[in-house]
Amino acid sequence: MAATTASRGAAAKWVLGSPLILFAAIFVAYPVYQGIQTGFFGLSLQNPEVPFTGLSNFTTVLTDPGFLAAARFTILFALAVTALETVLGFGLALLMNRQFPGKRVFFTMLLVPIMIAPALMGVMFRLLLNGDIGLVPALLHGVGIDISLFAPDTVVPLLVLLDVLQWTPFTFLIIYAGLQSFPTDVLEAAQIDGAGWWRTLGSVVLPIMRPIIFAAVFLRLIDAIRTFDVIYVLTAGGPGTKTTTMSIYIYKTAFESGQFGMAAAASTIVMIALVPFVPLLVKRIVHPGRGAA
Amino acid sequence: MKAKATRLVTLTVVGIALAGCAPSTGAGGNSSAAGDQGNGQGTVKMVLWPGPEGDAMSKVVAAYNAGQGQKDKVKVDMALLSRQDTFSKESTLMAAKSSQQDIYFVATYNVGQFANALDPLTSVDASNYFPVAVDGLKYQGKQFALPLDVSNHFLLYRKDLLDKLLSSKSQWPAYEAVATKAIGEKRDPKPADQWDWNDYIAMSAWFSKSANPTSPTQYGTILQAKNLLFNTMIWDDVLWGEGGSWTTPDGKANLNTPQALKAVNVYSTIYKNGWTSKDSSQAEFPETQAALKAGSAAFALQWSAGFAELNDPAKSPQVAGKIAIAPVPGQKTHVHALAVALNKYSDNKAAATKFLNYLATTDAMTAYAKAGGIPAMPSVLKANASINPAFDKIAESIDKYGYSEPVFPNTFQAYSKLAEVLSGAWVGQQDGAAALKDANDELQKLLG
Amino acid sequence: MSSTANISTRTPDQLGASRAKAADNSTGKTPGPHRSKHRRLWWTTLAVGVVAVIVNVPWFNALIVSFKSDGDISRGALALGHPTTDHYANSLGAAGYDFPRFFLNSGMIALGAVALVLLIAVPSTYAAIRLGFGGRFIMNASSALRLLPAIFFAVPYFLLMSNLGLLDTVPGLILANTFLNLPLAIILLGAGFRDVPIELEEAAQVDGASTYRILYSVLLPILAPTLVAVSVLVFIFSWNDYLFALVLSSSNATPITLGAANFVTSTGIRWGDISAATVLSTLPPVLFAVFAQRFLVSGLSAGAVKG
Repeated sequence: MAATTASRGAAAKWVLGSPLILFAAIFVAYPVYQGIQTGFFGLSLQNPEVPFTGLSNFTTVLTDPGFLAAARFTILFALAVTALETVLGFGLALLMNRQFPGKRVFFTMLLVPIMIAPALMGVMFRLLLNGDIGLVPALLHGVGIDISLFAPDTVVPLLVLLDVLQWTPFTFLIIYAGLQSFPTDVLEAAQIDGAGWWRTLGSVVLPIMRPIIFAAVFLRLIDAIRTFDVIYVLTAGGPGTKTTTMSIYIYKTAFESGQFGMAAAASTIVMIALVPFVPLLVKRIVHPGRGAA
Repeated sequence: MKAKATRLVTLTVVGIALAGCAPSTGAGGNSSAAGDQGNGQGTVKMVLWPGPEGDAMSKVVAAYNAGQGQKDKVKVDMALLSRQDTFSKESTLMAAKSSQQDIYFVATYNVGQFANALDPLTSVDASNYFPVAVDGLKYQGKQFALPLDVSNHFLLYRKDLLDKLLSSKSQWPAYEAVATKAIGEKRDPKPADQWDWNDYIAMSAWFSKSANPTSPTQYGTILQAKNLLFNTMIWDDVLWGEGGSWTTPDGKANLNTPQALKAVNVYSTIYKNGWTSKDSSQAEFPETQAALKAGSAAFALQWSAGFAELNDPAKSPQVAGKIAIAPVPGQKTHVHALAVALNKYSDNKAAATKFLNYLATTDAMTAYAKAGGIPAMPSVLKANASINPAFDKIAESIDKYGYSEPVFPNTFQAYSKLAEVLSGAWVGQQDGAAALKDANDELQKLLG
Repeated sequence: MSSTANISTRTPDQLGASRAKAADNSTGKTPGPHRSKHRRLWWTTLAVGVVAVIVNVPWFNALIVSFKSDGDISRGALALGHPTTDHYANSLGAAGYDFPRFFLNSGMIALGAVALVLLIAVPSTYAAIRLGFGGRFIMNASSALRLLPAIFFAVPYFLLMSNLGLLDTVPGLILANTFLNLPLAIILLGAGFRDVPIELEEAAQVDGASTYRILYSVLLPILAPTLVAVSVLVFIFSWNDYLFALVLSSSNATPITLGAANFVTSTGIRWGDISAATVLSTLPPVLFAVFAQRFLVSGLSAGAVKG
């Protein structure tokens, strides 16, 4: 791809890239280095010495059933919410991709859930779902349904549902923005040519939208893997460790156990485990439908 | 591309391993490895958490800045964070050996973990305080923090409902039947201050619609069973009340015992039978307050600080005046002190010490009590019983029933770990004995 | 595949022409579709409206609770009682916290982060996608970076800001939020730049435009919707940041998220106050989105006025 543009100023790429280089050198390289390095030391509040511990933090984390359980829960949770949110966000974007009365108001309304800080959203859910003062149990009770939303059997589906409520607007926004560079008449022309709506969707819209959908999936997935605030506020990872995500595990390791070295090692493991998947997805965003460049 | 990324990671890892140098933790600037006494003047920065403690302290600070502080040439500047975040923030500052704050907010349950970042206090006059408060802030024989506020638990119960049961003997046979089903033993209703844990279970059943359709409340109680370190403290009351404890006299983990199993079963029996809301698997302080305020539960174990609000007609219109206080069943209550401590890396220790000395006076603590705090000084509580009807009970309860967990470097972590391991068993998700065995192993590891 | 790729990469002029053709077709082949189309639009309104209400149940609940007294809150969700504005007074400063300042800090942090993110991400992503600057490594590395939990950076960022003298300052938090949001911006802009037909740039190049000029006057206008989407997201995420604010601010630079958390106290949650603070805290991002929406929707409106 670069063949035609390589002739254009080789200097320009360094000029245009310089803000990033400058920023990365100070605000990315140093913290990342510092963070990864911390994983190799026994930095903890309990021990004022900071001994070099080599890989022992890493082996401790990797052999901790708690970490493995958290990893399992996190990945399943992230996949479930991302799948749901992408499908719903895409559907919503298609629905919004036309003029209709009230569109502007609804567009803004749809974005409000992501404007509530996750840390506050957790508290708002806690209020909304409280069995004594919450609106949802009161309404359910009003129509004759008495269920305990936070019972151990319902808590996981509940958390998935809450995540979908909060983050579908995110996938919607990204896909909707992508749709704007997509000529709507293609869709209509295809329909007029006799192609059914579903066929048009499958054969025309989806292929064109693929990169932007991948971008939405990818961004949502990596954020879902870091899920923390809402679950922490609602369940703190319980009952037991049933809803402990990797971020909750790491947070507790650092702030409740004071084991900063261990927390850094766990974070690094998460990154290293997931890094191999990154290029696969990035490739599809940047070079959709073409082989590796 | 993948190969390139892998190579980069490998390179970084190898580079770090070879470098072998400790992560730099000195927070640069003017901080030195062990702090500085300073000139005894200027601004002292302090962290506290919001709520009655923070509100009361802000009045004390204002009074100090306007009065004694002028003489001391010290101005105190207090920052508040939320409950969960105060300790997280402090942990970060301590890990970074920061001099940003001079006085930290600590508690009995984390003073062991934080001690390395604190300076021991040398001039605390212990005789003014509850002994359990002062002792709980000692670590390795040194006093690391100045007690501020004490927290313990009470049984908060609907006096109107219990009195009615106690006075209408016609209901007793029905109560006996429910109790027999619940605990396998015939019992008469008793006044709240005479309950043991079996009475607690029987009463939970009696006041639940599921076991007693005529119950005035939906549920008997609300358990605080969320996976949260504060909830371990509440369950500890049950543990001690049933005769168990965290450790043996020689300091070994002691949770794999019949007493501990009984304590877990108190929770799981109530939960599994629906004598507490199923939502209580995620309940803690706010949910308990909400249930008591709404009148959906007849009684609960709750922190001392929760009582005042429940009897305030503006905040609890449905139950104000109907809630009474009794000692925790089994007559054992967890006690901890919230406290202030001196940052070892502070640059202004002399000035900070001046303010700490001021806080240790009965005058300052009287002002603190008047502003809504629960000071750890029995004399101040007794002299100000008119402010808060709970003060008398608190002083009595801590004296007679107060109990605290052992302080060791990993205490804070142990509370979290126990909540994590046991909260599943509390709500019947796991076998109690198996969970206790895990808990015992974890605790032993943390005891070292 | 290649034919569909072509469709997505038509120039604006081509788009206009084919739109006109499609409009002709529709009037020619389907007689009198106006009424049914009209009805369909109202169905759309209804469907979207239902979704918009459902996803906003937490917000509406917060709005209701924020006007209820503490006593009425305790009596249950359906007990309304007498409305009060006390909670708004509290979340605007009466509770003793400096909320106006928290709002101001959040605003400066979010706007600053948007500006800085765009300033860094736009030229460098363009250079990466079109000029071979760092190749795909930039994209991969930024994605990998976003995989790390924010907690990982807590202590390193504290030390960094401490050494730079930027602890508890708005610029410090702008830099931190820029760091947090750069990966998102780079990924989205990467996808955006990729979509723009290279022929456009080549044509401009033939006309003698410099690389910088091509970026500024050819690409940016085309990418306006993406830029706006990125701005909205960066604004929202910076506005919502909690953990970095917790670690890096103590009083002077405290944003609204941290300020509102003061209502989570050691003796329970002050439901009314925190609801009011939550409602208020959504207003500035809403305003930002309303303002930005004009650019987002305008890309569409030109082609959608038929029927």
